[in-house]
Amino acid sequence: MTEVKLKSIGKSYGAVAAVQQVDLTIKDGEFLVLLGPSGCGKSTTLRMIAGLESITAGDLLIGGKRMNDVDPKNRGVAMVFQNYALYPHKSVFDNMAMALKLQKVAASEIEKRVGTTAEMLGLTEYLGRKPAALSGGQRQRVAIGRAIVRTPDVFLFDEPLSNLDAKLRVKMRMELQELHDRLGVTSVYVTHDQVEAMTLADRIVIMNKGLVTQVGTPREVYDHPVDEFVAGFIGSPAMNFIDLVRNDNGIWKTACCSLALPSLPLDTSRLLSLRLGIRPEHIVVNPDDEKGAFTYQATVKLDELLGADALLNLKVGDVSLLARVGGMDYPVKGDVLKIALPEARMHFFNPETGLAYDRTH
Amino acid sequence: MQLRPRFGLYALVTVSVLVSFLPIIWLILTSLKTTAGIYAWPPQYIPDPFTLDNYINIIQNSPELLIYVWNSFVVGFGTTVFTLVFGSMAGYALSRLGMRRAGILMIFILAVSMFPPVSLIPSLFQNFLQFGLLNTYIGLIIAHTGLFLPFAVWMLASYFATLPVEIEEAARMDGMGTFRIFRSIVIPLSWPGFVATGLIVFIFSWNEFPLALVLMTENAMRTAPVGISLYPGEYAFPWETISTATVIAIIPILMITAIFQKQIVGGLTAGASK
Amino acid sequence: MSKTAPSIERKRQKTGMAFITPTLLIITAILVYPILQSVVLSFGESSIDGSVPYKFVGFKHYFALLQTERFWNALTVTVIFTAISIPLELILGIGLALLLNEHFRFKGIARLAVLFPWALPTALNTLMWRWMYNTDYGVFNAVALQSGLADRPINWLGDDVLAMGAMVTVAVWKTSSFMALIILAGLQSIPRDLYEAGRMDGMSRWQEFREITLPLLKGPILVALIVRSMDALRTFELPFNLTDGGPVTATESLSLYAYKVIFDFVEFNFGAAIVVVQFLVIFAMSLIYIFTLRNKD
Repeated sequence: MTEVKLKSIGKSYGAVAAVQQVDLTIKDGEFLVLLGPSGCGKSTTLRMIAGLESITAGDLLIGGKRMNDVDPKNRGVAMVFQNYALYPHKSVFDNMAMALKLQKVAASEIEKRVGTTAEMLGLTEYLGRKPAALSGGQRQRVAIGRAIVRTPDVFLFDEPLSNLDAKLRVKMRMELQELHDRLGVTSVYVTHDQVEAMTLADRIVIMNKGLVTQVGTPREVYDHPVDEFVAGFIGSPAMNFIDLVRNDNGIWKTACCSLALPSLPLDTSRLLSLRLGIRPEHIVVNPDDEKGAFTYQATVKLDELLGADALLNLKVGDVSLLARVGGMDYPVKGDVLKIALPEARMHFFNPETGLAYDRTH
Repeated sequence: MQLRPRFGLYALVTVSVLVSFLPIIWLILTSLKTTAGIYAWPPQYIPDPFTLDNYINIIQNSPELLIYVWNSFVVGFGTTVFTLVFGSMAGYALSRLGMRRAGILMIFILAVSMFPPVSLIPSLFQNFLQFGLLNTYIGLIIAHTGLFLPFAVWMLASYFATLPVEIEEAARMDGMGTFRIFRSIVIPLSWPGFVATGLIVFIFSWNEFPLALVLMTENAMRTAPVGISLYPGEYAFPWETISTATVIAIIPILMITAIFQKQIVGGLTAGASK
Repeated sequence: MSKTAPSIERKRQKTGMAFITPTLLIITAILVYPILQSVVLSFGESSIDGSVPYKFVGFKHYFALLQTERFWNALTVTVIFTAISIPLELILGIGLALLLNEHFRFKGIARLAVLFPWALPTALNTLMWRWMYNTDYGVFNAVALQSGLADRPINWLGDDVLAMGAMVTVAVWKTSSFMALIILAGLQSIPRDLYEAGRMDGMSRWQEFREITLPLLKGPILVALIVRSMDALRTFELPFNLTDGGPVTATESLSLYAYKVIFDFVEFNFGAAIVVVQFLVIFAMSLIYIFTLRNKD
């Protein structure tokens, strides 16, 4: 049972805090993804778990033991680096065997473990080569193999796929998924790529400015973002935001009234302004019911075909909206059409704090 | 249309190359002449007859000139080894071990590297005399090490800074200590930096004059530049011997420069532009 | 939670201290301490072998220095030598660098030729030139006489002005290449597309040089200038081997003068005062250098 517990962990360099305060419990066997923009503290958090970065506040428990001052090699963790970090002057075999050699594991045992791992990853024929003679994907596999042979309690991944080209990234992502299913080792994975996060994670931790903003399953963070940051960060293209004010008649409208919303699914009695969010994929173009409550007339300003999908740049009065529609027979630039905003798909945020409002229904 | 500027270019290149080589060529030609040929009128531009007598003569009658070259080797080699060992350790500490005030230390090292050697002479001479270090290899090696360590620290520190830090972190995750990482990861990966630094330091040491002059007062301990410069000639300089000895003394440097041209130029310009 | 000890960093810093200590010790022993000792010596009377106990005499040697004509001469010679050779080296260095930045065959040999004068010992370079300057048997006079440019042998090193010119020539010959290498590295770091953009804007080659090359070379040129100036200000083996400071003292540099005072005239403490003055001049230069380096980025 290897559970990783971060108790109010923080990291500051002098007066600058890279990670302010992070509380997290990573369950045994869980695949946890730390997601956030660059500089949000996700890498620093991972490196504190690894032992590459000292912890300036709080406690780190791995398997119930406090690890703050333990050397990386004694933490039972293995790490896969972004740039592979293979020893360029050593063969694939030696790269994978290094940690075991340093642990003084018997040569025959090393041979066996490296051999098995190499086979699992399809690296057997490359064991004698130097990293420079391998392709990007193969190098990445060696980096993963190096972590596997140690049979660690926890895997740490620091943006391991970001140096691969798009095609290979998808392939390796799937391999990683299979690997995790097979080995079932607790894993912490840092990325800024939300697709990787959504596909790999049991739970996603979204970080911003050195703090955890939300922890949840991919479904939860997509459907119920706790604030505007998460709402805007998850999903591509990003969520549309519309600022609304309440007029004297209690009707919510955009600033110069081109878009009015009759009633909202939340208690707005004490609010004067709020921000509405709706994802591009949730805007319904040419709805069946043209008289619905949230149906508006829109003009297509720009249409972009992505392949399977198309993006429409819509104008409703003075409000710009991005909508995602199917790639077949979609409206084109200049068309005037009806759109509907499904009430169930709306998100509401406090424009000052960015926090999401609870819906009443 | 293309011909004219190309012609001008090649003419300029030829002139530059000639001017650079001229003194060396003239020196080599002189060393291949007989004594009569050297002092002949009209002057001999091509040795007539060609002779290796001057070289044979040095080997047979003036072995001290060869000893100077040997001394330069010993001092240059010792200085290079010391400088690389200490310089790489310091450079690694300053570029990678998160030293506090590393920036200030680097500036300090840069500043002391500019001290004029002649300013060191009164004190160094007195202290070396006191500690019995005058006329010893180790004495001059220590002095040269001090003189060229700053350069080596800067060169190697900037080389280490170009290595991907993740490899060292991976080594730490694999269970290596700092010293082990330095020895079995950083050094093997940095050999181009070591080669460039070592070659330049060797050349510096081989060429250094004021300290070699003052700290080696015995004829038998002199380095090549000093020994040849002070080569005794009662009334006139014995040019046939001097030119030959000079050729012998610069051959190692010519060879090093020719073979490792790329590394030396790379190192020099990197060091100077940092 | 009482201890917030960042143990990883602290451990590494400890190793770092161990790694840097030998270097700091050597630098202190060979560079820092001797300068301080020279300062102490310059304020006293003592002997080079320590047989006379040290006696403090205050600024006596410095006052004497100010009234010694030969010191002022040496200072003047050094400054003139520096002021003439550096601009020449710079112009030739830029020219050489531009040349080497072109594409042509046998570029390797050309680069090597440029590197040689720098790589060889100044002392021996100087000997080669001294041989060429030789009045009776030197190649310069041979050519001059045979071609009829001169009807009598020219005493290159026996005339005040000619001797200074000869010394400057050797220095320029040796170090233009160093300048060229540094400037060349700067040239090669200028992105190609800047020139392509320049061509699109309709720049001539001269305008390219004026508007793109020169401004972007400012940094490397400044570095080369200051490094070389400090070098020139401490020049020693060049006059030592070429002229021994002569005729009389026409080419006697500060370094050479200090050396003679210490070892030929055995005025140990007076010599210390000279080297301290020289140190202060060069150290001031080096501070300017470091200051410009820090301001660069």
